[in-house]
Amino acid sequence: MLLEKLQSAVGAGVILPDGHETFVLNLGPQHPATHGVLRVKLTMDGEYILRAEPVPGYIHRMQEKMGENRSWSKYLPNTSRIDYLSAMTYTHAYVLVVERAAGIEVPPRAEYLRVITSELNRISSHLVWFGAFLLDLGGFTPLLYAFDDREKILDLLESVTGSRLTYCYYRFGGLCNDVDAEFLTGAREFVAYMRPRLAMYRQLVTDNIILRKRLEGIGRIDAELCRKYGATGPVIRGAGVANDVRRVEPYSVYPLLDFKIPVYSECDCMARYLVRMDEMEQSLRIVEQAIAQLPEGPVMGKVPRVVKVPAGDYYHAVEAARGRFAIRIVSDGKEIPYRIKLRTPSFSNLSLFEEASRGMMLPDALALMGSLDLVIPDIDR
Amino acid sequence: MTPTLDELNQAFLRLLTPAPALGTACEMHDATSCEGKGVSPNPAPTPPPTSAPVPPCRIVEGKTKGYHFDADLAPDQIVPAGRLLDERGFAIDAVTGVDWLAAGQMEIVYDFYHPVSVLHVVLRCRVPREGAEVPTLSEVFPGANWHERETHDFFGIRFTGHPDLSPFLLPEDADYHPLRKDFTGAA
Amino acid sequence: METPDQPSPQVNSAPNPTPTGPVGDGEPAPDCSSIVRFAKLDELLALGRANSLWPLTFGLACCAIEMMAAGASRFDISRFGAEVFRPSPRQADVMIVAGTINRKMALAVKTLYDQMPEPKWVIALGNCAISGGPFVFPGQYAVVEGVDKLFPVDVYVPGCPPRPEALIEGILALEEKITGKRRWPRVPPQ
Ligand code: SF4
Repeated sequence: MLLEKLQSAVGAGVILPDGHETFVLNLGPQHPATHGVLRVKLTMDGEYILRAEPVPGYIHRMQEKMGENRSWSKYLPNTSRIDYLSAMTYTHAYVLVVERAAGIEVPPRAEYLRVITSELNRISSHLVWFGAFLLDLGGFTPLLYAFDDREKILDLLESVTGSRLTYCYYRFGGLCNDVDAEFLTGAREFVAYMRPRLAMYRQLVTDNIILRKRLEGIGRIDAELCRKYGATGPVIRGAGVANDVRRVEPYSVYPLLDFKIPVYSECDCMARYLVRMDEMEQSLRIVEQAIAQLPEGPVMGKVPRVVKVPAGDYYHAVEAARGRFAIRIVSDGKEIPYRIKLRTPSFSNLSLFEEASRGMMLPDALALMGSLDLVIPDIDR
Repeated sequence: MTPTLDELNQAFLRLLTPAPALGTACEMHDATSCEGKGVSPNPAPTPPPTSAPVPPCRIVEGKTKGYHFDADLAPDQIVPAGRLLDERGFAIDAVTGVDWLAAGQMEIVYDFYHPVSVLHVVLRCRVPREGAEVPTLSEVFPGANWHERETHDFFGIRFTGHPDLSPFLLPEDADYHPLRKDFTGAA
Repeated sequence: METPDQPSPQVNSAPNPTPTGPVGDGEPAPDCSSIVRFAKLDELLALGRANSLWPLTFGLACCAIEMMAAGASRFDISRFGAEVFRPSPRQADVMIVAGTINRKMALAVKTLYDQMPEPKWVIALGNCAISGGPFVFPGQYAVVEGVDKLFPVDVYVPGCPPRPEALIEGILALEEKITGKRRWPRVPPQ
């Protein structure tokens, strides 16, 4: 095929057999549509993409190397700066893997609070995606609505964690402090407030004919492609596979809670959009149930002053807002990790972009990229 | 169709032990018994075969380790092992390295998860530290392409047959491999 | 890394950045603005500039989310005339460096700065842009330790990330630097 033949031709000015000439377009590293500092080298035939080659690394921050020069607990703040939009879930993965390795018990109240805060964080992350994605598609107003709702979550989380974005709330064996009654009432009120808002979003945005025309049937990513590239999260759930770490490899108290895994099998941008919209609703359900079931008790278990991890390697995956996030730690029995490997969802999700965007129109490819919900420091680490 | 741990173990044993039946793993494909053990966090590991030397592959306690199956491979077994997992519907999770400076070895670790079941498989391969080289898996799992490029960036491990090993996360002209234990800082 | 109570923005009290040559080659370009000056007109222009700062849409990392929050509903930076985020450096006059700059990105950031027309100002938002922030350790191989290693900075807004209020305070501090007057009364910390 013509496209296949041109796949290797990255240089500009290749004359196609039909007399067209290709050109190279650099999208980024500073481009509003890439949500940060991602660069995509596009070989174009007019408006059509022949090859899109992402070039990451513009925000590589040595996260893995930093694990090797500080103690286990001093690495905690780093985990909230990998994917800063879902910092809670990332910290959760790290404390879970260290707890698993060091055999630390966590009191049930702490586990429930972790789930509550993680799910609130997931909603706030999806709200940022919602605003930014629609901004990519040319609609500015939804962003203002989304950020308004998001601020309500941030207020809640700030009242217990002290920060708005880069939370460092979880500790090995529990949490750094308990929540107060005000937080719980606030969270309940938020759930009640957010449900009608989501319904409003559906009327305002989801049913919008322009949005549907831009998303339906665009950017096909099927289950096989996801599997071959390790894409997870809303991407694989939008391809008809019910892959959710919370269900497949349950952790924390998720098995005790009743929630659905939204799955759409259309494989297009709209499916991924709908998965995220439904996920917010499910997260609200989780928060509601977890608050109802929240037991009394301490929020911190018995933890040695200096956490030591027995030699060996350990692994733990969680479902972050963008998909499967996993940490593999290798310990040699010392106070400092020997190696920390971060398996981030955005990395795998973006890796299929080259294959998925081939032959697309440029604006559609931007819709596809937005539907992957990338956080660039999550790719570069 | 979800593969079971036992069947996986059998297939790997056949692949890894130098028996005449090397490479017939795919014939096992149909014999898989489909038990929908979906949600159990700890799929009751059967005790590993207790032959005297450490077997090249083993079922591990998922609860404490986070993965359920572990296999030590020689470099030339990586691609067949990848195929074996591919046929059973596994997805690539990550490829990474670990620098064992004291032992003079590089370990390459491959993680695989199953999209709809709880199975997590780890493949490892240790090679001498200097001039570390293993074949690429990107032909079986195209997603391995980026992971291997990153591993080459960080550890200097070469993946033979890889389409493009130029610096990925590091600057275009980087000639250092920062996650090697003897790395002391870039100029 | 956590800064619970965030210190107020620091203003670089060096004179307004007059056209300087490329940073690092040691030869500052001649300063033409001091040859011809129109006192009243300058003041008027400064007032106009200060009240309609157009930032460059340019996010690097976590701090950029707080910059977005500052532009969105609750904090609404347009109350201070600085909401016109421009994607092109040619149309922007203040660059908010929000996030970590690494060595691969440094050249691109420098290019963006150079592409902005004079007069232009720079706000370093967050510890990363100020000093490399949490990512500095002996033997680090990737992070530029502060954007002022690349070009001059006018206002430093500390925090990891700074709150949107801190960015607004940074904008006010920049206005004060441009006009010499503070538009808003200073609120003493309680
Ligand atoms: S200062 Fe903190 S929040 Fe801002 S970019 Fe750096 S790490 Fe992220």
